[in-house]
Amino acid sequence: MTLEEFREEVRKLKRSNRYPADRSYILPALWIAEKSFPAITHDIMKVIAEELGVRPVEVEEVAEFYAMFHTKPKGKYIIRVCTNLSCMLNKGEELLARFSDLLGISPGETTDDGLFTLEVSECMGLCDGAPAVTVNEERFLKVTPEQVPEILKKFGWKG
Amino acid sequence: MEKLLLRNVDKENSHTIEVYLRSGGYQALRKALKEMSPEDVIEEVKESGLRGRGGAGFPTGLKWEFAAADVKEPKFFVCNADEGEPCTFKDRVIIEKDPHALIEGMLIGAYATGCRYGYIYLRGEYPIGKRILERAIAEAYEKGFLGENILGTDFSFDLYVHSGAGAYICGEETALIDSLEGRRGEPRIKPPFPVNAGYLWQPTVVNNVETLANIPLIVERGGKWYSGIGSPDCPGPKLYAVSGKVKKPGVYELPMGTPLSEIIYEHAGGIVGDRKLKAVFPGGASSSVLTPEEIDVPMDFPSLAKAGTMLGSGAVMVLDETDCIVKTALRLIEFFRHESCGKCVPCREGTDWLVRIVRRIEEGQGTESDLDVILSVSETMENSFCGLGMAAHNPVASTVKKFREEFLRHIKLGRCPFRSG
Repeated sequence: MTLEEFREEVRKLKRSNRYPADRSYILPALWIAEKSFPAITHDIMKVIAEELGVRPVEVEEVAEFYAMFHTKPKGKYIIRVCTNLSCMLNKGEELLARFSDLLGISPGETTDDGLFTLEVSECMGLCDGAPAVTVNEERFLKVTPEQVPEILKKFGWKG
Repeated sequence: MEKLLLRNVDKENSHTIEVYLRSGGYQALRKALKEMSPEDVIEEVKESGLRGRGGAGFPTGLKWEFAAADVKEPKFFVCNADEGEPCTFKDRVIIEKDPHALIEGMLIGAYATGCRYGYIYLRGEYPIGKRILERAIAEAYEKGFLGENILGTDFSFDLYVHSGAGAYICGEETALIDSLEGRRGEPRIKPPFPVNAGYLWQPTVVNNVETLANIPLIVERGGKWYSGIGSPDCPGPKLYAVSGKVKKPGVYELPMGTPLSEIIYEHAGGIVGDRKLKAVFPGGASSSVLTPEEIDVPMDFPSLAKAGTMLGSGAVMVLDETDCIVKTALRLIEFFRHESCGKCVPCREGTDWLVRIVRRIEEGQGTESDLDVILSVSETMENSFCGLGMAAHNPVASTVKKFREEFLRHIKLGRCPFRSG
């Protein structure tokens, strides 16, 4: 998506008339950006600010506050490994280590080919399937370390 | 007991309006709009004794009464679907499997309180739920349950999904409102309460998903019927999300006040590998821990408060004898440190110090006086600005109090006794 196409998306969002105050479109606009670009850059924030009539810093502080918005480049697939209590008790940390080993990156980093970003996730509400992993919007439940290569291959990992 | 909140979830395509209508869906809305005044609806909900299922347990009927009494226009009706309390996944089941029960509950609430617009504030971690809710909302518009002049009455209501983006604090209702306004989620001072000054400082009702899913039942069968279920002073069915070291983790619908021991051993199948139970957090990560001797407690708001802990979101987290209590406390306080919004000092600094101290104990570098420091920091955190900080120290302070020996063992051994090597 180009910046101008993105601007049009934000305008379309505004025309939906979902909120009585333009400011409320900041999060939905950031979500469009999150899904359409590798990173939410200052240029993108400026477009949102211009269209919604707020200062760029007001968009930036929101983009930086929420864990799911990436202001630094992310991979095509975001792997989120939950290590909160129920997943931790069910060996979520071992899973994380396995992903980290295979991909050769630490949590928070992106592979050189831009395919995967590995993240430690707080609870995703999948505790009945602990330990839980998501890759973008897809869920993997009761995952064992042995299943990790399989999961990665599904998303184009060449190993 | 008869399944009430989970009555639809096992049906095929339970998330579609066809299945919901076939199961008698939207009949309660019809009854409310055609046969009851807004005041009648509020009276019915008050009589039911329903208390909010998000964690605070505030009487729903009373909240609605306050909102209805406010004359400012427009008013907003918000569903708190931010379900962020670690190990809570009860609302997810309703969102994904019975979204129309939630929408119908919101519609009835909006009618009772005079709200014209509604938002479902959904946590960013539920993208599947978002698609399901948006589809359900579109279906409801198509059938005339949302929009202008619903069912041919004067009542109009528009409803939208607003996605959060990964911030636990946004489950706190005033931080949620900030987030809905396009800001960082930081709590606001109360009063004024959202019912009088919420979204855009207009009257705003904020109700949890599970709370709202109860509403069609109450309208359909009456508040008196509802008040006969479960604990007399805190009635109704309750969804308990059980996870950790149980054989059958899942969401169980039981009468409010079901003993914790029954939930763990009868419904969730007991402890994995038939090991010994070590500890339970009965109401999510911010509740105080219970020992095996304390699990006969009825799972309702007043009983758990009396036991020195809380029902919170009803998330039951179970540890067995092989689990380290210090590591558990560390993981939970790490969560709260990450999620503290930083607005107030006791929470921002307190969570950070607790992480440092508990981590050094877990790593074998702690001293006995650290335990006193933990309790002193915890006491200070009681003065936090909002509920996050007020409760964040609970898993640490309560484990130090009830499992002091295990903390001391870490200190004396100079390492975690549960870690090999």
